[in-house]
Amino acid sequence: MTPIVLALNFALSFAGLAALALSLDRHHRDAFLSRPPKARARGLRVAGWAGILLSLAASVALEGWNFGPVQWIGALTGASLLVVALLSYRPGWLRPAALAALPLALIALPFALRG
Amino acid sequence: MRQGFRQSMAWLHTWSGLVVGWVLFAVFVTGAASYYRAEISEWMRPELQTGAPIDAGRAADLAADYLRAKAPAAQGWFIGLPQPDKPVTELYWWNDLVSPLQHALLDPRTGAPSPARDTQGGDFLYRFHFELNMPPLWGRWIVGLCAMVLLVALVSGIVTHRRIFADFFTFRRRKSLQRGWLDAHNVTGVLALPFHLMIAYTGIVTLAPMYVPWGITAAFKGDETRFFVEAGLSPEVRLPVGKPGSIVSLAPLVATAQARVSEPLEHVAVYNPGDAAATIVTIFEEPKGLAHLHPQIAFDGATGAELGTTGLVRPATRISAAFVGLHEAHFAGPALRALFFLCGLMGAAAIASGLILWSVARLPKAGERPGLGFRLVRALNVGAVAGLPVGLAAYFLANRLLPVGVAGRADLEVRIFFGAWAAIALAALLRPHLRAWREALGLASLLFLAIPVVSALTTGAQAFDGAARFLGFDAAMLATGLLLAFAASEAGRTRPPRRAEPAVPAGRPAQRAAGTPQARSAAPAPARRRA
Repeated sequence: MTPIVLALNFALSFAGLAALALSLDRHHRDAFLSRPPKARARGLRVAGWAGILLSLAASVALEGWNFGPVQWIGALTGASLLVVALLSYRPGWLRPAALAALPLALIALPFALRG
Repeated sequence: MRQGFRQSMAWLHTWSGLVVGWVLFAVFVTGAASYYRAEISEWMRPELQTGAPIDAGRAADLAADYLRAKAPAAQGWFIGLPQPDKPVTELYWWNDLVSPLQHALLDPRTGAPSPARDTQGGDFLYRFHFELNMPPLWGRWIVGLCAMVLLVALVSGIVTHRRIFADFFTFRRRKSLQRGWLDAHNVTGVLALPFHLMIAYTGIVTLAPMYVPWGITAAFKGDETRFFVEAGLSPEVRLPVGKPGSIVSLAPLVATAQARVSEPLEHVAVYNPGDAAATIVTIFEEPKGLAHLHPQIAFDGATGAELGTTGLVRPATRISAAFVGLHEAHFAGPALRALFFLCGLMGAAAIASGLILWSVARLPKAGERPGLGFRLVRALNVGAVAGLPVGLAAYFLANRLLPVGVAGRADLEVRIFFGAWAAIALAALLRPHLRAWREALGLASLLFLAIPVVSALTTGAQAFDGAARFLGFDAAMLATGLLLAFAASEAGRTRPPRRAEPAVPAGRPAQRAAGTPQARSAAPAPARRRA
C-alpha cells in the first residue's frame, strides 16, 4: 500500500536528515546553542546516513526497483523541506520531532509489510 | 585577470536564468497544477455528477451518431469515453492537420450536448504548461528552448553553489535581505534537485521527436507514422481509399476490446470515418508502471474485424516512455502526487527567488538612480510572479461568476485569466516596487480566499451534496490564499526583523553580503521609498 510505505519512507528520511543537519556545527548551534562534540557529530552523521539508507531499503523492498527510488527521492525532498522549515522557524523542535519519527516508522512498518 | 571556471558558470547561471525565468515560472506553476488536471476540470464543471455507472459502448455509439451528423467528412474523430470521475463524453475531430481541433462535450446517456458549463477546465492549464496558449508548434518550441536553458542553468547552478553540502539545510531568513533570498533560492533548488533535473530532462524528451526530427525523417524517409507503428507505439492505420463507406456500431467493438485488456478503456479513435477503409482504434489507460504506454487495439471500420494491436515495445521505446511517465506521474497515488506537486512548487519558488535575487544583488546604492534595465526586470518580476496567481484565481472565479449560457464562455474565461495577469504586470510598472509586490500578492491572496465562498454561493446545493465533493479543492484554494497572504506580509520588508544575532567572525561571506542592504536601510526615507 503506497501511502503507508510513503509514510514509512518519510519518517525514516526525516529522522535521518534531521540527524545529518544536527551533525553540522551551524544547525547544532541553532538547536542546542553549542557546537557538537566530535564523537557526537560523527554519531549523528552515521545515524543520519543509516536513516536515509534504511528509507531507500524500505522503499525498494516494498515498492520494487520501479517505483521505490522515485518514492524514496520524493520522500527525501519533502522531509528535507520540513527539516529546513523547522530549523528556520522552530529549531528547538527538530530533535523531538526526529525522535518522534522513529517510533512512528516502527508503527508504520507492520502495516507496510502487510499491505 | 583570469576568470575562474566557477565565475564563468556563475555568470552563465545568472543570465541564462534571468532570460528564461519569467516563462519558466509560469511553466512550473501550471505544470504543478496539471498534476491535478482532472480534479480542476471536475470542479470547473459542477453540473456533472460523478459516481453513477455509465454504459461506455452506448456512449461511444451516441458520440458516433453526433459526429456523423456534425463532421462526416472529418479526417479523424477522437472520442474520450466517460469515466467514473469524468461522466462526460469528450469529442475532438479534425478536418485537416492545419486548422484547429474541433471540440464538443456530450451527455454520455443521451448523446445531446452536455449540460455542463462551457469551459476548458484543467486542460487549459495543462496545455499552457507546454504551449503557452500559442499556436502549438510555436509554444512547444519556446517552452522546449526554455527547458533546454533550464538544464544549463541547473548544471551551472550546481557548479556555482560552492557549499552545496555545508549549506544543505541552511535558510538564514533573519540575516541580510540578499542572504535570505540566496538561501531560499539554494534550498528550493537543491532539496528538490533530483526532481528539477528529472523534470527538465524528461520534459525535453517528451517533445524530442519534434525538436530533433531528422533521425526519424532520415530513417523512415519522411514517413513518421511508420516510425510510431514500428516502435510499437501505434497500431497500423490504413490510408483512405477514396471510396465512401460507413463504420460499424462501436458498442460491440468496445465490448470486445474491454474483454481483452484489463485496463480502463479511455478513448476510441476513428480515422477517415467516411471512407471505405476507415480504421477504429481503441486506446486504454496505461497499465500500472513507470512507462507511459497505452495498449491499443485497431479494428476495420467497415467490418469490425480486428486489424492489430500495439506489440511489445523494445527497450529504447520503453525507456523513452518511462521518461514521459515520470514527467506526468500518472502512476503516483495521492500522497506521491502531492509530493510531485510540492516539488513543482519548489521549482517555481527556486525560479522566483532567483529572479528576485538578481534584482536584490543589484540594488542601487542610496542616492543612486536605478537604471532602466534594473527597473524593468523588477517590474517584470512582479508581473510574472505575483501576476500569475492573480490570473489563476481570476480564471477560477470567472468559471463561477460568468453566466452559464453566455456565448464563447470558455474563451472568455481564458481572456479573463490573461487580462488579470496583464493588469498586474502593467500596474507593477506604475506602482512603487515594494508596494506593487505587497498589493499584487495581497490581491491574489484575497481572490484565492474568495474562491470557496463564491463557489458555495453560486453552485448552492450542488457543492454540498454527495460526500462534499469539492472539499479538497476548496482546502487547496484556502491554503494557497493563506500562503499568498504570508508572502504579501513578507514582501515589502526592506530588512530582516531585528534579533540578537550571535557575533559572526569578520570576513565571513554572510557579513560581506550583509553590508549593502543594511547601509541602504539606514538611508533617508525618501530615497528608500523610491527603491
